[in-house]
Amino acid sequence: MATKITTPALMAGLEPLSRRSLLRGVALGGLAFSTGCSRLFGRKDAPEALKYKHLSEDEIRTITRLTEVLLPTEQHGLPSALLVVPTMSNLDEMTGQMQPQSRELLSLALWIFENRPKMSFKFSRFSKLDDAKAREYVLAMQDGAFFERGITSTLKTFITVNYWRDSRTWPGLDYTGPVTEKWGVRRLGNAPLPLV
Amino acid sequence: MKTEKVFFSDSVGAEARKEGLDVTQGRTLSGDVNLSADVVVVGSGAGGAVMAYELARAGLRVIVLEAGPYVPSSEFSEDFTESLERLYADHGSQTNKDGDLLVLQGACVGGSTVVNGCVSFRTPDFILRDWQEQFGLSALTPEEMEPYFRKVERNLSIEENAGHEIARHSQLALAGAKALGWSVKPFKRNIRDCALTGHCLSGCKTDRKQSMLVTYLPWAVAHGAKIFSDVTVTQVISRAGQARGVIAEAKDSSGTTVANIRVDAPIVVAAAGAVQTPLLLLRSDLANGSDQVGRNFACHPSMYVGARYPEPVYAWRGALLGVYIDEFLPPEKGGFILEAGGLGAVEMTLITEPGSGEAFLDYMEDAKYYSGLVTLIHDHNVGRIGWDGDNKRVDYQLADVDFDSMLRAIKAAAQVHFAAGAEEVFVPSTKPLRIRSVEEIDQVLSELSNAPQVLRMVSYHPQGTCRMGSDPDRSVVAEHGESHDISGLYVADASLLPTSIIVNPQVTVYALASRIADQLIARREQYLGNASKGSGESG
Repeated sequence: MATKITTPALMAGLEPLSRRSLLRGVALGGLAFSTGCSRLFGRKDAPEALKYKHLSEDEIRTITRLTEVLLPTEQHGLPSALLVVPTMSNLDEMTGQMQPQSRELLSLALWIFENRPKMSFKFSRFSKLDDAKAREYVLAMQDGAFFERGITSTLKTFITVNYWRDSRTWPGLDYTGPVTEKWGVRRLGNAPLPLV
Repeated sequence: MKTEKVFFSDSVGAEARKEGLDVTQGRTLSGDVNLSADVVVVGSGAGGAVMAYELARAGLRVIVLEAGPYVPSSEFSEDFTESLERLYADHGSQTNKDGDLLVLQGACVGGSTVVNGCVSFRTPDFILRDWQEQFGLSALTPEEMEPYFRKVERNLSIEENAGHEIARHSQLALAGAKALGWSVKPFKRNIRDCALTGHCLSGCKTDRKQSMLVTYLPWAVAHGAKIFSDVTVTQVISRAGQARGVIAEAKDSSGTTVANIRVDAPIVVAAAGAVQTPLLLLRSDLANGSDQVGRNFACHPSMYVGARYPEPVYAWRGALLGVYIDEFLPPEKGGFILEAGGLGAVEMTLITEPGSGEAFLDYMEDAKYYSGLVTLIHDHNVGRIGWDGDNKRVDYQLADVDFDSMLRAIKAAAQVHFAAGAEEVFVPSTKPLRIRSVEEIDQVLSELSNAPQVLRMVSYHPQGTCRMGSDPDRSVVAEHGESHDISGLYVADASLLPTSIIVNPQVTVYALASRIADQLIARREQYLGNASKGSGESG
């Protein structure tokens, strides 16, 4: 089955980021000192990132690392989330369809998620953490303040939906997917006008 | 300026198309378009479609303007994520300000009726009594509403689920409730010969769901109504306290405005849903003498309480919704119901926080063992819909008293699951919480608090933002649906409901719209007689 890419209900948890107070207090005040806001929405892509049209190099690095932490699929005999299922391409295409406001929130969320470990892990970014520390960090964010939970839940959903929406992942779940055409179910059409 | 002539056909001997719908799509329009009709209906969902049909059948010239696209059922994909993008408001990302309540509404021709689960309840009698006592809606008695309920139930093939429509997930809920001695019943649904695909929320590909797309809208067209899709109404026009029509924009598929539309009509029916209708009235600066437009937003915040069973359930197989537990329906017993519902594999990733890495994969690999119960509570009207510049704003934070109801509903769902043999219950939270026995329920739930980003809530039933009432200082419209302030301006959607009704509201909206149509028809001369007088609109 062809995988269609959309902008579904994944951005809900990022809504608190649109509050100016949070932007000012957390994103810019607390974290921007080490990285610099100029990189936040940057698009200076490395050659390997050029196959993605909408995600930046930094964003791809963060999402790739989070995908590795979230979905160690090969260990479970599932199709690889990075090599078989085009999770990143799905995410890239979804990103391209986002409204500008949602796109900016996603950028901000990824930037926070990438840089927040600098507060607790000796100035290391998330994508540089080893497996154990990366898992520890994700768990801490999941149990953190409301905006940290919102960011983490949203990014996790963003990735996992774009993995499991691919029909190659379904046999592992015994999930059947769309069935009407497979079953040859007859269409009934419009109901007849009611008798008055 | 281009003036489009709309030809309204004679409705005598009307016959509906066998399949599909005659719709003028916004992208085919250009420039300035002027239309005229007796009635312009804003929105084509449960309220708008019923109004369009009933008014067209009575001989009125009706134009329906729908902001969403026309998607024929043959194009439905049975892919929930794709359906969110194509058929739902804001591509399925409409949320409250805190981002922890997803407000899912259909945004296509047929509205939410296209993507709902077919659940069909009459308004509970105690809710109607409450409306009489609190809001002076003295005419809305169970006896008055009875023929309207009966009519829409007949028109929409609403029947109780038969045995084969109680899928495995619902059989478990049935067994659990019976073991606890709790009241449990099969749903009634508006469906003909259900094909048991389980994809209701992505639209019914074979037209078995009796949504507005295959019933009232084609019937309205058969009686001469004209439907336009991709047309967003931006303003209701009035003059000297009388409705005069609407201003709208037609969009192409990219959302670019391709035509500016004006519809002159002495009767305007706002039926865009409980989020969009108040936004339209607020933007029009109309009908708000009470300052109640947009206030009193309630939404039945619901959660999916999942559980793992020792034997496969395959929650995606069979009819999506089979039975409901109404043991706690009366407010004095809790004011909530539990609905046994199916779920697809992708949606499994959304309902709880299973952890990361191995834990997440372990969770997903067991997907076929999961079943779930949807909680619906009688929430209070504490929210508000409004504008924040050019963006809509949904203010809704669960009231403390409603949070207690949510906890009671989760607890009851967990009890049902364990009584049915579940091994563990997943708490619908952003924290990785699981309950492994009845004894653990209270302790685990004590870790929840009424704060943003704690519960995973979804609203399928926004309501209350233009409430009915007899007092113009406390309500937006009278019990016959007409604005207290603007003659000829009607509201006919879930905005009307003065309180949340606990149960799924589609039948309530159908029945109220049918009644409002009758009331409007009885007053038709009042508006049509005024239609030709003067000009100089405002609004």
